[in-house]
Amino acid sequence: MPVNHSHTNANALEVRGIGKRFGGFWAVQDIDLTVRPGERRAILGPNGAGKTSLFNVLTGDTSATTGQITLFGDSVTREPINKRIQRGLRRTYQHAHLFNGLTVRDTLFLAVAGVRGGWRQVLPLRAGDDRLAEAERLAEVAGVADVLDRETSELSHGQRRQLEIGIALAEKPKILLLDEPAAGLSPAERPKLSALLMSLPKDVTVVLIEHDMDIALQTSESVSVLYNGRMLAEGSPDDIMRNEDVHRVYIGGAHGH
Amino acid sequence: MRPALILIPLLALPLVLNDFWLTQVATRSLILGIMALSLSFLATYLGVVSFAQATMAGIAGYTIAYFGPNSVGIGVQLPFWISIPLALMLAVVSGGLIGLIARRSRGIYAIMITLAIGVAFFYFTRQNYTLFNGWTGFSGVRAPEIGGLSLRDPLALYLLSLGTAVLALALVSGFVRSPLGLTIQAVRDAPGRVLALGISVTTPIVAAFAFSGLLAGAGGILNVWYQERISSFSVGLGPIIDILIVAVIGGLRHPAGAFVGAVVFVLLDTFAVDLIDRERFNTLIGVVLLLIVIVAPGGLQQLASDWVARLRRPEVKEKSTV
Ligand SMILES: Nc1ncnc2c1ncn2[C@@H]1O[C@H](COP(=O)(O)OP(=O)(O)O)[C@@H](O)[C@H]1O
Ligand SMILES: [Mg+2]
Repeated sequence: MPVNHSHTNANALEVRGIGKRFGGFWAVQDIDLTVRPGERRAILGPNGAGKTSLFNVLTGDTSATTGQITLFGDSVTREPINKRIQRGLRRTYQHAHLFNGLTVRDTLFLAVAGVRGGWRQVLPLRAGDDRLAEAERLAEVAGVADVLDRETSELSHGQRRQLEIGIALAEKPKILLLDEPAAGLSPAERPKLSALLMSLPKDVTVVLIEHDMDIALQTSESVSVLYNGRMLAEGSPDDIMRNEDVHRVYIGGAHGH
Repeated sequence: MRPALILIPLLALPLVLNDFWLTQVATRSLILGIMALSLSFLATYLGVVSFAQATMAGIAGYTIAYFGPNSVGIGVQLPFWISIPLALMLAVVSGGLIGLIARRSRGIYAIMITLAIGVAFFYFTRQNYTLFNGWTGFSGVRAPEIGGLSLRDPLALYLLSLGTAVLALALVSGFVRSPLGLTIQAVRDAPGRVLALGISVTTPIVAAFAFSGLLAGAGGILNVWYQERISSFSVGLGPIIDILIVAVIGGLRHPAGAFVGAVVFVLLDTFAVDLIDRERFNTLIGVVLLLIVIVAPGGLQQLASDWVARLRRPEVKEKSTV
């Protein structure tokens, strides 16, 4: 059963004092972050800044060393990843690790089954199973409908990235964490991705890690900048573009990716 | 390949084979193939090599021996329509339990754990007399009779084994397309990602082992009828390794390969012993295994289907598969 008692005026995501330590090394430290429902937030930062580590803690892929995470008013700091997914939290991974032996259709089917959870997961497939229809809809949205019956190991890099997004969109997410969805895409594929991000329903909250400034600024209304595991600056895209610190550590020093 | 092309000759086989060939070669291959199928299913779809399949088969076999007619005077007589489902159920439960124990292990660690379970069960059967009758086990186990016809009759046992093999393959191909079967394959490819989709990883692993227990159990029941006895030697290292060899010869990438492997193994086992002595048989099977691992790591089944594919369309050999 999805847990859906969201509080009407609660923030989509509230993060207080989050830290993640690997051995003696703090990958992220003392992070505060507040994201309103429906907000489009970009997270910038040079490689190794801790962006992916922060996502891992937010989703429950790894546990937080310190701090509190609240999703739509409910504390989820100690909750396993599957519970958070059923609350409407989804993510994509920077380095896609998909099911190589499964087709696109079956992968998307599992994404839907995972969100719905429960005993239905084990029932045999029947023609007209609405989870199959949902999988096909996701393929359509993510632009992989033409390769529905290919094994994911046969997909191009761009198609794998699109499939990642399709997985994350299963069953109407409420908050999407996208980890460099445009990484490795050709210049021709990038506008397609922007268009896909822009076409997401307005009530979906999106937190986007993105190196591509065009995509980041075009699709986001607010920006947080991470540096050495700490929050360096927050503000509107314009604020961030003018921020001296940000220029020094990131924009000035960024050599592409 | 169309199933009928294979099935019709197999159904006609009793017309051309004498009892020795039918029972010692054909039926034995089918039974060994079903047990090896339980392993190649796990290896192909869960990506785990289990050494505990002989244990699951043995649990079903011992159940049949204990609850059926035998000549050692141990056990309780139950009608076969109770003892057979009971044997299958215990094999499924033992498979599930073994899966639960091995659920966090992969690769060499899964092999070690399942091997430890298999060996522990072997020693347990040797030491326990009330249920397993120690190392001598059960002899004089008789297959059920239906309308005066014993299922141990060569033709009946052959057809029963063939039917079970076909059913087992059909079950596997249906199961792997079910949501649970898809989840099992997803666990094989990326277990962390399965969890990240919100799906439990333990359930598919336990289910895969339990399902393999069903297959192994079916093979174990047929085997105890075929051998007419079961003892600690039926669940020892010998059978554990035989099942592995059969599955590897056939190829761990396609479940049907188990039957190809079983035929090769049984032919070698039956006839090579006449030509060379027993000691050298192990060397021979070792060499065959080595050749297969080197020449055809996908097993004989894979080798054959590659040839068939090449013969069918030599002109598209260069092109990638689309
Ligand atoms: N599992 C891990 N174990 C040890 N160090 C890690 C681990 N994951 C990330 N790190 C380290 O944490 C830092 C932040 O990494 P990451 O979050 O991937 O950065 P970003 O996504 O911003 O490029 C890096 O120095 C990285 O080496
Ligand atoms: Mg990263």
